Amino acid sequence: PEETVTSSFASFIHAVRPEHLSKIVRHRSKRMILDSIGVGLMGSTTHVFDLALQYCRELYSSVAVSSVYGKPGIKLSPTLAAFTNGVATHSMDFDDTWHPATHPSGAVLPALLAASQMIPPSTKPNGMDFLLAFNVGLEVQGRLMHFSTEAHNIPKRFHPPSVVGTMGSAAATAKLLSLSTAQCAHALGIAASLAGAPMANAATQAKPLHIGNATRLGFEAALLAARGMEANPLILDDIPGCSGFSAFYSVYQPKPLSTPSDHHEFLLEKQDIAFKRFPAHLGMHWVVDAALSVRNLFINYAGSFSPSLIRTIVLKIPVSKYINRPFPSSEHQARHSFQFNACTALLDGEVGLSSFTESSIHRQELRELLDKVVVEHPEDNIANFDKMYGEVALLLHSGDVLTGKCDTFYGHWRKPLSKESLLKKFCSNASHVLPEEKIQTIITMVDNLEDLSDSSQL
Amino acid sequence: TITGNFANVIHGLNANHLTDQVIQRSKRMILDTLGVGLLGTRTEVCHKVTQYSKIYSSDTSSTIWGHLDFQLPPLYAAFVNGVAVHSMDFDDTWHPATHPSGAILPAVIALSEAFPQKKKISGLDLLLAFNVGIEVQGRLLRFSSEARNIPKRFHPPTVVGTMGSAAACAKLLAFDRLKCKNTLAIAASYAGAPLANAATQTKPLHVGNAAKHGLEAACLASQGLQGNKQILDMESGIGAFYTDYNPQTLPNLQSYPWLLDQQDVAIKRFPAHLGTHWVADAASSVRRKLVESCDNLLPLDKIEKVILKVPEVKYVNRPSPTSEHEARHSFQFVACSALLDGSMSVQSFANENIHRPALRELLGKTQLEHPTDNTPSFESLYCEVIVTLRDGTTISDRCDTFYGHWRKPLKKEDLEKKFQSNASSVLPAEATERIIETVYNLEKVEDCSVL
Repeated sequence: PEETVTSSFASFIHAVRPEHLSKIVRHRSKRMILDSIGVGLMGSTTHVFDLALQYCRELYSSVAVSSVYGKPGIKLSPTLAAFTNGVATHSMDFDDTWHPATHPSGAVLPALLAASQMIPPSTKPNGMDFLLAFNVGLEVQGRLMHFSTEAHNIPKRFHPPSVVGTMGSAAATAKLLSLSTAQCAHALGIAASLAGAPMANAATQAKPLHIGNATRLGFEAALLAARGMEANPLILDDIPGCSGFSAFYSVYQPKPLSTPSDHHEFLLEKQDIAFKRFPAHLGMHWVVDAALSVRNLFINYAGSFSPSLIRTIVLKIPVSKYINRPFPSSEHQARHSFQFNACTALLDGEVGLSSFTESSIHRQELRELLDKVVVEHPEDNIANFDKMYGEVALLLHSGDVLTGKCDTFYGHWRKPLSKESLLKKFCSNASHVLPEEKIQTIITMVDNLEDLSDSSQL
Repeated sequence: TITGNFANVIHGLNANHLTDQVIQRSKRMILDTLGVGLLGTRTEVCHKVTQYSKIYSSDTSSTIWGHLDFQLPPLYAAFVNGVAVHSMDFDDTWHPATHPSGAILPAVIALSEAFPQKKKISGLDLLLAFNVGIEVQGRLLRFSSEARNIPKRFHPPTVVGTMGSAAACAKLLAFDRLKCKNTLAIAASYAGAPLANAATQTKPLHVGNAAKHGLEAACLASQGLQGNKQILDMESGIGAFYTDYNPQTLPNLQSYPWLLDQQDVAIKRFPAHLGTHWVADAASSVRRKLVESCDNLLPLDKIEKVILKVPEVKYVNRPSPTSEHEARHSFQFVACSALLDGSMSVQSFANENIHRPALRELLGKTQLEHPTDNTPSFESLYCEVIVTLRDGTTISDRCDTFYGHWRKPLKKEDLEKKFQSNASSVLPAEATERIIETVYNLEKVEDCSVL
C-alpha cells in the first residue's frame, strides 16, 4: 500500500537512530538544550511561573517524580512538571526561535526531562537517547512547518508552538519511550486533537501556557498512545472534507519523511536557531541593534545622548499587529513592542532583564521618547524572520537625520552567538536560582551529553 | 468589548433569569447525559483514560460516575466522565451543531464535589451554571456561518465546548467579571481539535478535554492568570477557528432570552452520529413495508440494491466500517442494520453484529446519493431509503424529522427509558430511580453533591 504521510512520520520517529545525527546537528542541539535550561531556570523566578506551580501543586501530589526548574525540593507528576517547566521556559519570551517561526526547544525539552525521570532505573535512557529524542522533536516540528507556506511568515492565526510544538513533543516523548511505529502514529494523532491556540493570547500572561501545554499535552498524547489509545492514522495527510492537522492552515501540502537511511538530513543541519540576547519577541532584536547603532552615531554627533534634540523617531518595521504597540503597559506587552524596545535601547544603550520591570516600563523619560515614535512599513520589509530588517532614524530638530539599520542581529542564525556569549547568557540566567558549581555541572553535562549514561541526571 | 460583555453576562445571570422551559429542557439534558455517561464508563476508551488518569491522585477529589471505588482530582474526573459521555456518540446534539452537555456537566459536577464542606452548592446553582455553559456555546456558534452546517475542519465541541465549560465553571465559582474574562481567554488557548479524529477512538477525548480544559482555565484564572481580554473580539482570538467570524454582544440581562428556549436539543435513540438517525427511521419504515408485502419475512436475497439519499458528509460516508467507532459514523451501516433488525440499539454496534455476514452482504448492495437539495445541516437534512428488489419493484420511504429531533422531541417516558436502560448497566435500580428524582427536582435540591 502506498505510504501515507502520517505513517512516514511514524516510521521515521520509530526507526531513526543516534548514528543518524550529524556532528553539526549534535552541536547545535546541545547549544539549544543549554540555552533552554538557562532560560527555564531564569523563568522560574517569574510570577506566571508561580501561578502555574501553585496550580499544579494544589491539585496533584502523587507519582511526583519529576523536578521543577529552580525548585530543588519540589517534585510533580511528569506531565505537570513538563507543563510548569514549559511555562518557565517561555515566561519571559527569552527562548530560542527557528525558521519557519516557532519556539522549538521549550516545547520538547521539558517533556523529555520529565519523562526521563519517570522511566524506571533498569531502562533509563542515556544521554545519546536523550539527544536523539530531542532532535526527533525538533525535526518533526520543522517538517510540519514546511507543509504550509503560511508558516514562513510571522504568524497571524494560531501560535505555532501550540500547533507544531505539541506534535514535536509527542514525537520526542514517543521516541524516548521507545513506542512502536503504530503507537508513534497514534501519538501524533492524539496530539493533533490537543494542538492549536489562537495568537490573541500572545503578549499576555497566558502566552507562556502555550509552550507549557505544548510540551505537556504532546507528552500526554504519547502516554495515551503507549496505553493503547488510537487515533486517525491519516492525521497528517490531506483528507478532503474532513480536516486533520490541516485544520490549522489554509494552505496545506504534506510530504512524507524519508525513512532514515544512512544520510537523513535533519533540518537543524541546514537551518540553525536564533538565540535571544534579551527577553523579548525575536522581532525586537533587529530594532534594538539598529537603535544601538544609531545611538552611537548620535553620541558622536552630540557628545552625549540628549533626547531633547530629537524631534521624531522613525521605525521602519514589517507589518505585524501583535508586536506593534506604541504604549505598552505590562511586561508582556513590552516584550512585544517594537517601539518600546527601540526606545529602551536608545535611552539605556542596552536592553536586558531589568528593562522590563514595572518601574522601567513606566519611566517618564521613556514615555517621552515613545511619544516621538512614528512607525513605517516599507514594502520590502517582509514579516518573516529570515528576511526582515529594522531601521531606526532619528530626525533631529536641527534638521539632521541619523539612521541605523540592522539586517541580521547578533544571535540570529546568520550571525550565531559565540560559545562565550551563549555561556554568558546561561550563567547569567542560571545564577538567579542556582549556585556556581551546579551551573558548571550542567554546562559540562550538556556539552558531553552523548556520553552521559543516565539522562535523568540532567 | 464583546469579551467584556460575555464576562458581564456570565457574572450577572442568576437563577431568576431561568425560564420554565429552559429549566425543563436542561433537566432533560442532564438526565440523558448522566445515563449516557454511566453507560459509557464501560467502554474500552473509557478504561484507557481512567487507567491513565489514575497516575494523578490527590487530596481534593471527585468521583467517576458509577464508580465509587476510587477518586480522581476534579480535572481528571471531568476528563474521564466527559470521555464516558461521548464514548459511544450517544450524547445530545444541538443546532448549530455541537454536543453541548458533555462538555459542561462533567466539569460542573466534578467541581461541585470538590467544594469544601462549608460552601455547599445547591441544585439551582448547578442548574444555572449548566445553562450558562450551554448558552455561551450557542452564542459562540452563531458568530460564524460556517457553524450552521455539519463541520469539516474543527470538531465543534473542542472549540465552543471548551469555552462553555470555562464559562460554566466560572459561574459556579462565582468569579468577578475580570476573572470571567480571563477564564474565557485562557480557555481559548486550549480550544480546537481537528475533525479527522472523529470516527476514531480519540474522538471521545474531544469532549473529555473540553470539559477538563474549561475547568483548568477557570482554575488558572482563579490563581490570577490573565489572558487577552478581547479574546472573543479578535480574529486572532476565537476567530482563529473560523474563516468568517462576526462576534456580537449578548442581549441585555433584563428578561434574558436563552437560546435553549428558542432551540431545543436532539436526544439520540441509539449510539451513533446524529445524521444516521434519519437513515434509521427511514430504513425501519421501509423494512416494515417490505415485510408486510412479503409474508412477514424480510426477503434478503431478493434485494437487488439499496440507495440512500443523504447529504454529503464525508466523515459519515463509510461503505464498509470495521470498528465500532467507524460503524457509528456510517450512513450505510445504520441503514443496513435497521433494515435487518427493524430498529437500532446499543447492541447494533457490538463486534459480532458489525461483522455479520448478512450485514456485509447488504452493505455490498448499498450506495449513497447526494441530492443537491439535501443540505448538510441538522436543521434541514432528510434521508430517503430506496430498496429495489430483483423483480424491479421498489419500496421507499423518507424521513424529514426523526423521533428525538428537536422538532419531534422524545416523550418523558422514552427519555426515562433510555436513561434507565443506560444507567442500569452500572447502577442498581434504586440508585437509578433516585437520580431521576433528584434531577427532576434539581432546583429544590440543597446540596447537589447528592447527585
